[in-house]
Amino acid sequence: MGNKAIYIGVIVLILVAGFFLIKSPNVNGEVTSGGTGDIQKVTIGFKNYNYDPQVVKVKANQPVRIYLDDSVYGCYRAFTIREFGISKFLQSTNDYVEFTPTKPGTYAFSCSMGMGTGKLIVE
Amino acid sequence: MTFKEFAKELNGKRVEGEIIKTMFYSLISSIGAFVILYFSILKDIENFLPKYGFYIFFAIVSYAVVLPSFRQVRAYRQFACMSGMMIGMTTGMIAGFLAGFLAGATNGMFYGSIFGMAVGIFLGVWNGKCCGIMGLMEGLMAGFMGGLMGAMTSVMLINEPLRAATIIIFVICATILFALNYMIYKEMKETPREIIEDYGMVAITSFLLTIITIWLMVFGPRSILFS
Repeated sequence: MGNKAIYIGVIVLILVAGFFLIKSPNVNGEVTSGGTGDIQKVTIGFKNYNYDPQVVKVKANQPVRIYLDDSVYGCYRAFTIREFGISKFLQSTNDYVEFTPTKPGTYAFSCSMGMGTGKLIVE
Repeated sequence: MTFKEFAKELNGKRVEGEIIKTMFYSLISSIGAFVILYFSILKDIENFLPKYGFYIFFAIVSYAVVLPSFRQVRAYRQFACMSGMMIGMTTGMIAGFLAGFLAGATNGMFYGSIFGMAVGIFLGVWNGKCCGIMGLMEGLMAGFMGGLMGAMTSVMLINEPLRAATIIIFVICATILFALNYMIYKEMKETPREIIEDYGMVAITSFLLTIITIWLMVFGPRSILFS
């Protein structure tokens, strides 16, 4: 095989692989600032170097408000749910994140560095 | 002047003329590994391509830019200590950083750094041993550092534009590896080639690295969190 063909081959392979593999990530659910139904309030604490409870169940299509109690400290207060686009530092126990999950499923929540983790099950 | 000669040699008869060909075979092998995995177990995973496709693409291309220096080093076989140390350090650091970065983006700090260190140390030692113990040690240290740093960087960028950072980091790493190819040429241009081999080593290494990387990204212990 000539070198020109190899150059073209490399470029074509990279383009084809990129075309098939690179897709935009989906965002499941949407973030709202208010919500019309009853708000589902959840308070998460800290135990054994992780969030407690680690599994939180909520209902779909109903606003969810998550607080962190005063046992949660440091960077664990940077609360994140990637699939809902939530990333907020909850400075005090009165701060919260609020969103409305629209699609049932299991979503991961974590601190911003992924050291503390848990699951949000939307039913 | 030497760089012009090097650019000319990319189409020449020396081992430098096989750099692009090595990338080509690495890409073929890695894409083949991905296609096999995709049609056997991955295609049923919900949102597989949006979640993992981007990082798998960069893993495949990363291995394709890391491996050509192995062919160069194996062709000349013996290097002076200073060159060998540079080879071991660059290979270990960049291979470890890229592997750790991509694994860390999908599996977090612990698994990302373990994987990055394993790949960085393995490739760094393999390439660095061309000058003996000094290059070997340099590969060992650089692989260790690169793996840790790669995973740490991606985990700290989780809530930042991680995809944009991936592209920037890849471009910088690819430039460094291309500079390594040039350095090897510059150091060894007066030395005749000692070993002529086929592309089996490149194909097998790419295939195995891609399989392991994809498996870790998709089925790794914390992939659900970082996906």
